[in-house]
Amino acid sequence: MIPSAFDYVAPSTVEEAVEALASGGEDVKVMAGGQSLIPVLRLRLAAPSLVVDLSNLEELSGVHDDGDSLLIGAMTTHYEVQRDHLIREHAALIAEATETVADPQVRHRGTFGGSIAHADPAGDLLAPVLALDATMIIQGPNGRREVPAAEFFVDYFTTALAPDELLIEVRVPKRTGWGAHYEKFNRVAQAWSIVAVAAAVNVSGGQIVEARVGLTNMGPTPVRAHAVEQALVGQPATAEVINAAAAHAAEGTSPSSDGNADQEYREHLARVLTGRALNAAVVA
Amino acid sequence: MRLEHQFTVPAPIDVVWPALMEPERVAPCMPGATLTGVDGQTFTGNVKVKLGPVTLLYKGSGEFAETDEQAHRTVIKASGKDTRGNGTASATVSVQLSEAGESTNVAVETDLSVTGRPAQFGRGLISEVSGRIIGEFASCLGTRLASEQAGNEQEEAVVQEGGATAQEDVPAQAAPEKPPQHLRAVPPRPEAEPIDLLGTAGLPVLKRVAPLALALAVLLIVVRYWRNR
Repeated sequence: MIPSAFDYVAPSTVEEAVEALASGGEDVKVMAGGQSLIPVLRLRLAAPSLVVDLSNLEELSGVHDDGDSLLIGAMTTHYEVQRDHLIREHAALIAEATETVADPQVRHRGTFGGSIAHADPAGDLLAPVLALDATMIIQGPNGRREVPAAEFFVDYFTTALAPDELLIEVRVPKRTGWGAHYEKFNRVAQAWSIVAVAAAVNVSGGQIVEARVGLTNMGPTPVRAHAVEQALVGQPATAEVINAAAAHAAEGTSPSSDGNADQEYREHLARVLTGRALNAAVVA
Repeated sequence: MRLEHQFTVPAPIDVVWPALMEPERVAPCMPGATLTGVDGQTFTGNVKVKLGPVTLLYKGSGEFAETDEQAHRTVIKASGKDTRGNGTASATVSVQLSEAGESTNVAVETDLSVTGRPAQFGRGLISEVSGRIIGEFASCLGTRLASEQAGNEQEEAVVQEGGATAQEDVPAQAAPEKPPQHLRAVPPRPEAEPIDLLGTAGLPVLKRVAPLALALAVLLIVVRYWRNR
């Protein structure tokens, strides 16, 4: 349980961090809260030559109001996210999902940006960020660029981030007054999601104006359940409508089979959990 | 775990077959692979697999276990060990060529087993990922053989990849060498990795021992002072 030897730097500015990444070559690894990296280091499944620790980058921590959207700093901890009143008000889905991440200890150390950049298909923040059409703000040696969530998640544990780039902020469009719910299915409290569903619904006068549904662990990347969303628009917010729409949840997905669940079971879970998430969201 | 891939190479079977028999031409198609030596029917090499934060470097060897030139069928057996003691990977790859006019159909059947920690990591993801690696290998092989054939025809290789199917008849992740909960504290160091004594042990030990030494010295001074009074 002792990691292989590695060099360690803890830069104090984003620019220094990017420089450190560029100098580190192929085997450099970024550490945010370390809640995923430290375990794999200790198991010696990873042996980077250099670890760049971002914990001194206070500029990357916190949530800011930016007009039509919120800017969530990559180093904001899950604990901070779940208690933030701006997120509660304008992006409740993110707060709901964050509450389900691992346990309180992990939520105090783990970060919003770290979780997204890690891109574990069972990670709970990916689907909400995708469903809400968030934009990733990335800094690299050639300055900043923005990548929409739909293009950011590429594959298992793989994102649009280049090895010398950092995710510094996430821009989440405000969806004030929307109902939101994250329905997670796992067997024991701290386990990864076998499947989870992130749902946000805008209901006005009993009618569904817009719905956004993201699925966790239904493929190598988070996916949107577009068929469900389309089936809901303009319909009354009733359980019958929602349950009928939820039947489309697994369309176009290709979940993997593993020791926790096979493909058919995951598809079944997606349908059932989508119904639950939407029913809870319209009430919320 | 069994994986099946099928593709078509737009080259006649007489061209495809000899190309397949040369490790030097086949190896570059394996993602992350380096060939370190070829000796007749056997070869040695490394395969580096990256999955998010996890990096595995398998070192091993392989051989053309069966070769039937008449039937255009060969079986390659390869196995390797992770250099940091994270278990083993082994594969038996059967390649069957069949003539289809000016083209050649290639059927690749792989029996893959991964043991040790990587088999557990990522809740079974490793099977998915290794399936993808083999898929990439198969499609690269197709493209490469085709472009060699195309030569001055300058045509883009058209590779039709049959749907890759993975059936887990033998649950790979259910057969680890030992459960990961009982890991040895320090896995044996691979010979290939240069050992930097100061880097690995010297400095941290010094850092841990230094405060203790300082505390002892202070205590000693205090005790002496006490006695001298």
